[in-house]
Amino acid sequence: MATLLRSALRPLRPLGGRRGPAADVPLRGVRHGAGLLYPGHIPTSPLQKALLAAGSAGMSLYNPYRHDMVAVLGETTGHRALKGLRDQMRKDPEGAEILQERPRISLSTLDLDKLRSLPEGSLGQEYLRFLDVNELLCHKFQQAWTLCVSQGRPRGCQRHYIPCPRTPLLRVSPDTRAPTRFVDDEELAYVIQRYREVHDMLHTLLGMPTNILGEIVVKWFEAVQTGLPMCILGALFGPIRLSAQSLQVLVSELIPWAVQNGRRAPCVLNLYYERRWEQPLLALREELGITEPPTVHVRGPA
Amino acid sequence: MATHRSCALWSCCGRRWSRVMRCCRLPGFRSSWPRGPLGARHLSQEKQATETHFGFETVSDKEKGGKVYHVFESVAKKYDVMNDMMSLGIHRIWKDLLLWKMHPFPGTQLLDVAGGTGDIAFRFLNYVRAQHKRKQKKQLRAQQNVSWEEIAKKYHNEEDPLGGSRVVVCDINKEMLKIGKQKARAQGHKAGLAWVLGDAEELPFDDDKFDVYSIAFGIRNVTHIDQALQEAHRVLKPGGRFLCLEFSQVNNPLISRLYDLYSFQVIPVLGEVIAGDWKSYQYLVESIRQFPSQEEFKEMIEDAGFEKVTYESLTSGIVAIHSGFKL
Repeated sequence: MATLLRSALRPLRPLGGRRGPAADVPLRGVRHGAGLLYPGHIPTSPLQKALLAAGSAGMSLYNPYRHDMVAVLGETTGHRALKGLRDQMRKDPEGAEILQERPRISLSTLDLDKLRSLPEGSLGQEYLRFLDVNELLCHKFQQAWTLCVSQGRPRGCQRHYIPCPRTPLLRVSPDTRAPTRFVDDEELAYVIQRYREVHDMLHTLLGMPTNILGEIVVKWFEAVQTGLPMCILGALFGPIRLSAQSLQVLVSELIPWAVQNGRRAPCVLNLYYERRWEQPLLALREELGITEPPTVHVRGPA
Repeated sequence: MATHRSCALWSCCGRRWSRVMRCCRLPGFRSSWPRGPLGARHLSQEKQATETHFGFETVSDKEKGGKVYHVFESVAKKYDVMNDMMSLGIHRIWKDLLLWKMHPFPGTQLLDVAGGTGDIAFRFLNYVRAQHKRKQKKQLRAQQNVSWEEIAKKYHNEEDPLGGSRVVVCDINKEMLKIGKQKARAQGHKAGLAWVLGDAEELPFDDDKFDVYSIAFGIRNVTHIDQALQEAHRVLKPGGRFLCLEFSQVNNPLISRLYDLYSFQVIPVLGEVIAGDWKSYQYLVESIRQFPSQEEFKEMIEDAGFEKVTYESLTSGIVAIHSGFKL
């Protein structure tokens, strides 16, 4: 009888939590969601952050398609730089508004029709053209993809844009940005999320395509502007896989231009892009002090 | 149904209800029941608590199955790579030791539950094939004055290189089975292998069918371990052996601290960097902590009806092999 009772009660025993988490375990909280600063937050110890930083740095060099690793590197190493960025945003009125209202840029929140209807040369139009030209938008039905690119998109499907699966090296669209996970401060988590979403805007502002050369130029600009270690590492190690010719163009023309403009321009995170769609791109560039971008071949060496 | 209601009195008892249910059942009933939750089992489930653990979280019974399914669905592709990375290749030795303990001979019918990617099944096939070859060579050597023709005939009549052994790999997760099938094709295992989608708590097999039931690193993910043990008891032939390879409690305090440090600090990071999945590997290390100790698990196995239950701790208790017989 005793054994029967014991066996009936046994399933209840593991619930007592007799084996709780060990002392050096990052506690997740008893109930899912408790103790988390924002949805998707994963608390990590300093050792874990160090291991993540090292692992993600190595993995992003080894496999550049792992955009999530670049993101993780940014989150784990960027604490000081993010604090600096946040302070800069607080000082600026437009930046403070952004911190208050927390707008997000994603394909679902963008009104593509409205952007398309904007005048030629405006930020919205140029942004849309940037997404089109760099093949970040493509038809929902992938077998018709090549057809629709060459013949122009059919009218009915302009709402159904998805990140293009055939994106070559380093191309990422607004929607493929993973949410922040390893930043241990809720406001800083938003700042880094905003930084990622503004990355495409920077491409448009600087007139850089999304091939390797363009990405490296934007990384240099960002490194000077934000001081994020991930940008600095990306800027220094990105050119490793380049041919000698591209390297020459990069070092002689593109990098000096990027660094100069990065130094001269105010913090680009302080721009409320969602309200500036109608502003002509050239006027915006003048406001920021960005000079005419040097030409980079769209179909550059990958 | 009247039969069900009278059996309700017995349904509280963990151990004997399954035998009583079998008596209550009409012949041919099993085949007509759908594969959903059995009516009789519902009665016993109502008595038990409806909450259980998912790592260090608390979830309802019904949720846990689905959550575990998602975990393994997402880790399936990188499962083997991650196993090697996390255990530094030692998991291969553990699995080899399990096979060595099993010591199957040609003709053994093995059921490998939660055997998704097929590690145990492939080792079993290799072991049995090697045994069979050895037996054949011994036979030939023992026969004296055999003509060359007879020797050539012996080698030609290779009807079954496995000597009648079969392994059925059963797993609840389609993705894991898919990876297993791909591996089987890549490694050239064709004969003697069957892949079945099934739940360890409710195996789609008849009673008394298998010689050996093995479950390697799978039983801690089962929502109701006692039910899985009872099913194991049911499908084994009398004289059959139950073998379980599972993570267990470390007995040495220093190694325990190092192991905890490694598990909680390094493994989720490895999961994030290599497989892009932190949460699944966090669940993995937490579920190891929630699993009963060697002694407790031994008692659970005894409660399911197994006898001569023993366990052997490997690597200071990081894993343990439990063995029991249905006599």
